[in-house]
Amino acid sequence: MIRQRLFAIARLSAAQLRHDVGRTLLVILAIGLAVLAVTLLAGLGIGVLETGEERFAEADQDVWITGDAVELTAAGGMENPIPDSHRLADDIEARDDVTGASPLAFHAVYAGTEPDDLEVVSGVGVPGEHGGMTLEAGDGFSEGNVHYGDGDYDGPMTYEVILDPQMAERIDADVGDTIYVGTSPETASTHEFTVVGISETYSQFLGTSTLTMPLSELQQIAGTTGADRATYVTVTVADGADRDAVSDDLQEQYPEYEVRTSEEQLESMVEQQILLLASGVALVVLAVLAGIILTVNLLALVAAQQRRELAALRAIGLSRGLITALIGGQGIVLGLCGGVLGLLATPAAAFALNRLAASLVGFENLLRTPPEIYLVGFAIAVGVGTIGAVVAGWRASVYTRFEHLAG
Amino acid sequence: MARERPSETATARPVAVRCTDVTHEYGGRSSWLGSDAGRSVTALRDVSLEIRSNEVVGLTGPSGSGKSTVLHAIAGLVVPTAGTVELLGTDLTTRSETERTRLRRESVGLVFQQFHLLPALSAAANVALPLVQLGYGRRDRRTRARELLEQVGLGDRVDHRPGELSGGEQQRVAIARSLVTDPDVVLADEPTGELDTETGMAILALLVDVADERTVVLATHDERAVDRMHRVVRLLDGEVIDDGR
Repeated sequence: MIRQRLFAIARLSAAQLRHDVGRTLLVILAIGLAVLAVTLLAGLGIGVLETGEERFAEADQDVWITGDAVELTAAGGMENPIPDSHRLADDIEARDDVTGASPLAFHAVYAGTEPDDLEVVSGVGVPGEHGGMTLEAGDGFSEGNVHYGDGDYDGPMTYEVILDPQMAERIDADVGDTIYVGTSPETASTHEFTVVGISETYSQFLGTSTLTMPLSELQQIAGTTGADRATYVTVTVADGADRDAVSDDLQEQYPEYEVRTSEEQLESMVEQQILLLASGVALVVLAVLAGIILTVNLLALVAAQQRRELAALRAIGLSRGLITALIGGQGIVLGLCGGVLGLLATPAAAFALNRLAASLVGFENLLRTPPEIYLVGFAIAVGVGTIGAVVAGWRASVYTRFEHLAG
Repeated sequence: MARERPSETATARPVAVRCTDVTHEYGGRSSWLGSDAGRSVTALRDVSLEIRSNEVVGLTGPSGSGKSTVLHAIAGLVVPTAGTVELLGTDLTTRSETERTRLRRESVGLVFQQFHLLPALSAAANVALPLVQLGYGRRDRRTRARELLEQVGLGDRVDHRPGELSGGEQQRVAIARSLVTDPDVVLADEPTGELDTETGMAILALLVDVADERTVVLATHDERAVDRMHRVVRLLDGEVIDDGR
């Protein structure tokens, strides 16, 4: 008997919704958008975290040393809080439990194929060996760390750079071409560099266009050779050594810096984006609230318009529960339809956004939608529908007073 | 003139409805804002009435005379301020709302002046609604609704929505709905009030015909309706002024 009633309520709810197709579609669309907002933003969050983990894994560095909070600036550079970075790296590398330590600097630079047509990108200064970079074209830096070869900045500048693929395409530069690089438009016109490789290693790491050159040469054109500043000193722990123990030991040895393992460094970078995360969460909450409000509004309106009919149904013997279910059931149907719509739209929207993200920031497959995302989206849809159903059902029960039969 | 009751003598049949000294006042309740007793309206005064099974009784009187209130009291939609109302042997004044609703569901058919059909549902779905509560399957509901609609002359309108039907047709659907649970008592509150004279008379005839072997109590201010009644009870200012047995 209960099954028969449930089927009947579902059919009657669907019939009620079909009666006003325009309004029904509007609510389904709103719930679908709320679900889509949830799946896309959650997918983006997962994608960012997984991408970050992958990039840190690819960087193959166990421990990261830096100053306070390090954040990419609007100009495309970063603070470089570690002075005397080459010496610090050498000291750390001398430890038995460490196989390598390298300073890494980021600085906003102007670059272009013409001195009067420059763009701002993130300049990355890497040790001369440019270890860890995967080249798509070219042979990379030819002479290694010759500029800082003797522990000072007196060696010859190689004037070699490696571009990321998007930037190379944008400024129409290829391996062997000459480009102008400087920390201002004026200084850029006086520094000619040769493109010796194409690599997306650092653009994938930073999520922005990058231009990579030997660290000391970046420091040279930025005028920071005196302080030998770097953003990070990355450390590779020796086989068999405990990475966490090395990290703790380094922290104790260098209390003026922040020493973090790869995972801790990723967490730190994500925490720095708290405003962005809060904005994303706020968008999701607003989308879900909009879905709830539209659903409740539609159903409460239906209940108000049909108050006499609802009172009559009560009068002819329908229970308050059944009448509530008749109106509230529509909320469930709306939630399910909106949920299905949102979930069906998710793969296409994710594909489109991934294409956009790849073209803008160079990250492939940034937005990821594992099955859990779909489950969450569907749960949101059911939740919106249920809240709508409860509120509308309550309104419907209020309208079953027999006073409404008069007049 | 009231229509002559067929065959059996009235007193041989059991009492279907008994109202004893029923008085009902609207308003006059106290609240934390204070009492509004001064604004209470006495709708019924010491109304006593017995209606036997299979009687077709008309309650007539001008607007405000209390006929709808009597009907609502018999249906258990209102509990009178004083007195008792028995329906099919059950004293409604001592029963909870849920119990009264159950009794209506099982034993009473209601017809309203304004039809009160759900606009989104077909005629058949509207007629079948009370059967949902009783747990009937879809096919059984459909079959029963179709039978009733054919009985009221709407066999070709089962899938039409109320908006696609005339006023008279909508009232026929409402009558079919009132009979779908095969009730013992049918109560109709101004069923012809929204209809033109010709349609109203036809609806009245239909109601009396399809309510065969049932007790029918009909509130109407239309004096022409009394020709179809076995008995007419006239009310004025909440009191019975004539019981035309």
